[in-house]
Amino acid sequence: MSPVDATTNVGAGNWKGLGMWAWLLFRIAGIVLVVYLFAHIVVISSARWSGHSTLNSAFTLFDHPLFVLLDLLLVWAVLFHALNGVRIVLMDFGLGIHRHKLVFVACMAVAVISLCFFAFKAFSYIAAHHAGGLGGLV
Amino acid sequence: MTAQVTQTPPQAPPAPAPARGAAAPGGRMRRGVIDGSRGGMWAWLFQRVTAVVLIVGLMTHLIATHIINLGHLSFLNIGDRLGSPFFVIIDVSLLAASIFHGLNGARMVVLDYWLQSVAARRALAIALWLFGSVTFVYGMWALWPWISK
Repeated sequence: MSPVDATTNVGAGNWKGLGMWAWLLFRIAGIVLVVYLFAHIVVISSARWSGHSTLNSAFTLFDHPLFVLLDLLLVWAVLFHALNGVRIVLMDFGLGIHRHKLVFVACMAVAVISLCFFAFKAFSYIAAHHAGGLGGLV
Repeated sequence: MTAQVTQTPPQAPPAPAPARGAAAPGGRMRRGVIDGSRGGMWAWLFQRVTAVVLIVGLMTHLIATHIINLGHLSFLNIGDRLGSPFFVIIDVSLLAASIFHGLNGARMVVLDYWLQSVAARRALAIALWLFGSVTFVYGMWALWPWISK
């Protein structure tokens, strides 16, 4: 294999296993987050082009249990993307290359533990502020 | 990379033709191979720098909005937060870093599947820089009533 082949063949045969799912979910989460980013900028800027009450009514809508749950999904997308990104930066620095699955599992453990704090807060908020808890969804 | 070069067998097959859009071979072969399929060194480096800014800034942002102020978000609540220079720095750097990181990430996805020619890639980069700059100015305009108080 020539040096050129060694470069161009990087990735061949990677379409399997844990690394494939890490890559695919990283990409899906990234696309979701970039779409959310621009939606977020539009919603927050509504205070400027429409008025304070427009933004406040948007926040009232986002306090609905359905949106609190969607927010939790968004937090998961952020945490997965961020912690898998930490793994990628570590790989770029050559750290943990020989134990990359362990590094992945450790990063995901941090992500899941962090998510638990956000989930606890979200579910106790729904239980306390919406009579019937998730029943308020319908 | 050096290890792979030393492992090259003597009867290596000829290198394939560089991808359409890759830089001219010769003295710039290495650059052509890498930049022909990737987004460029500065974009790569800046993606890492903004990633670190986002991890610190976004965790602060999420804890402030999703844990401390969950259920209390409003125009005035944002104003309270942006009354402190700390959150002004966090929010403005988040705006800049997230726009770059998001648009460059979207660009990397596009380059993985489409746009083989150098001209098309350059046009995409210029379009994204323009769009990102306008979005940053728009975001600052949106934040200004809170920041200027």
